Amino acid sequence: MGSVKNMGWLQSFVEQYGVLVLILIVALAFAGIIAPGVLSVSNLSQMTVFGVEIGLIAFGETLVILGGGGGIDLSVGSMLALSQIIIAVLVEHGVNVALAAVIGFLVGGVMGAFNGFFVVQLGIPAIIVTLATLYGYSGLALVLSNGVNLSVFPPGFDVVGQSNVIGLPFQFIAIYVPVAIVMWYITSRSLFGYHLRFAGTNERAAWLSGINVAWVRFRAYLITGLLCGLAAIIQSSRFATARPDAGSTDNLQAIAIAVLGGTSIFGGQGSIVGTILATAVVTVLSYSFGYANINSVIETGAIGAVLIVTVIGQTMIRTVMRRRRRLA
Amino acid sequence: MSTVDITKGKIPSYGPYAFGRTRALIIRYQYELILAGVIVLVTLALGIASNGLFWRPVNISQILVDVAITGIPAIGMTLVIITGGIDVSIGSLVGLTAAVIGVTYQAGIGAVPSILFGILAATFGGLINATLITRANVPPIITTLGALSIWRAVVYALLGGNWISNLPPSLPNIFIFDSIAGRVPYSFVGALAVILLFAWAAGKRPFFRSVYAIGNNEEAASMQGINVKRIKFVLYVFMGLLAGLAGILLLAQSPVVQATNGSGFELQVIAAVVVGGARIQGGKGTIVGSFLGALLVELVQDGVILFHIQAFWQSVVLGAMILIAVAVGLRGGKKEWVV
Repeated sequence: MGSVKNMGWLQSFVEQYGVLVLILIVALAFAGIIAPGVLSVSNLSQMTVFGVEIGLIAFGETLVILGGGGGIDLSVGSMLALSQIIIAVLVEHGVNVALAAVIGFLVGGVMGAFNGFFVVQLGIPAIIVTLATLYGYSGLALVLSNGVNLSVFPPGFDVVGQSNVIGLPFQFIAIYVPVAIVMWYITSRSLFGYHLRFAGTNERAAWLSGINVAWVRFRAYLITGLLCGLAAIIQSSRFATARPDAGSTDNLQAIAIAVLGGTSIFGGQGSIVGTILATAVVTVLSYSFGYANINSVIETGAIGAVLIVTVIGQTMIRTVMRRRRRLA
Repeated sequence: MSTVDITKGKIPSYGPYAFGRTRALIIRYQYELILAGVIVLVTLALGIASNGLFWRPVNISQILVDVAITGIPAIGMTLVIITGGIDVSIGSLVGLTAAVIGVTYQAGIGAVPSILFGILAATFGGLINATLITRANVPPIITTLGALSIWRAVVYALLGGNWISNLPPSLPNIFIFDSIAGRVPYSFVGALAVILLFAWAAGKRPFFRSVYAIGNNEEAASMQGINVKRIKFVLYVFMGLLAGLAGILLLAQSPVVQATNGSGFELQVIAAVVVGGARIQGGKGTIVGSFLGALLVELVQDGVILFHIQAFWQSVVLGAMILIAVAVGLRGGKKEWVV
């Protein structure tokens, strides 16, 4: 990331995120080409609605990958689906909707903790644990809902996902922005964030320094689950429906966003600001694909390509930097 | 796994025991033996609990076809996982095979060429994975996760949202219905032959010895003069080829080409391999174990159908089987310093 000594705030921002801002501009231009008219004010405001859910999930994914040790969470989309189905089933059985939402949020945390337990406590690689729970959670969502969408929410519930505050979507202003600030604080200013980065950079050194690597990583999975639960509340409110197949594309998107935002897939490096910018990029692309009536399968394919190209770019930059360091 | 297994061809006998070689074999294959015991128990339980429905020829031959479909790509997946990699893109490669067969057969090029094109397409997919992983140094999980979605998009684009049921009529006959005594399909016999061939080779041939060496310590293997990149390259291409074969069998089993063909198939194969005792961090695993894993996975899946349990439970059961297999065996190799 280079030295930030004697540099203005803006200059360091440009050095760190210049490429990402450039990618965002290219994405906006691309969106304007494939879907003319998508760049209007109302559409841009609508994009923030779409970006909130995947943006929250991507924060969690960033934390998990940041913690290193092969950390990755393939099950985020399934946690999103199961959380909202549980909220809907509870409402169906006469539970107060606010209470059901809180329970759904906590169930997200339980699912994240389940992942975390298997990864850090039993030492099973995150890929295999979250691949298993990817199918397990979404299977449970299908079982609980009998495979159909549940539209059981009372009218008041749509406040979360369908209302506006000072001209901007409620969930953007009242949920995403505060969560983003908290997440930024957690990863960049708190001891937990420092430990997480340390564990991601060199887990053995971190452990020898007295950091409980397992507990630090466990909390990353737990937070991811909670964020998925939060996103589930927003999404079920936005559609006024809980879908058992929700989030089937979110697993890939969340990983693509985290990696695009500069989180190293090997852990230790990454930032919330990068994730926010990458969320904007993916949301712009995703929204304009939908606006241009291109099937979501194609869109997911494009995101897969973005993911691979970004990692190739990251690897090349790392190789060049290493070579430069060796020469210096 | 001790280093003796990798560097020496002979199975070592431990100490001055009588039947040293037999004992050594039992020790070496203890996990596979336990698995075989579990399979026998599950089979008996299914037979009793289903009032003999399980033993009907049609059910038996269906299970054996399913085992062939999962077992063939499980060979490649085992080898990939032994090197410490993974391939989650095979579900889409299966879909790609089906789509290419459907589209080319509709174009009127005949059954055999269209099937060859199908296999070729899947092998090409494997080639792309192999190139990205070994040349561009993209981690296998990222490469194949991206490939999973990219090839699914290609399948969708090829089919244009339609489905194709105009397929070679001989396809189901040759691969599914032709069987020994109406119970043992030739596809299963063929798969078993290939699996046994690879099981033998994995213990004897230098190439496979190198595969284990890479999984145990990649750097050391490289220093020993093993061309790590070339071996990995071959394995991922081979994985694509096997996915193509599985795609043909799956298409023969349900002869309709849709955009969703083979989605989720990767989980089934990974489940078989992990249940079969392969260590996901690499270095450990056997072809025979993965075959037994495929057998157990298919038996359990068959049980879900046999007892009219909601089909949605299948993926839950698969996920649970993976977690249980890894957690109970704890072959994950927990690092002693991570509390």
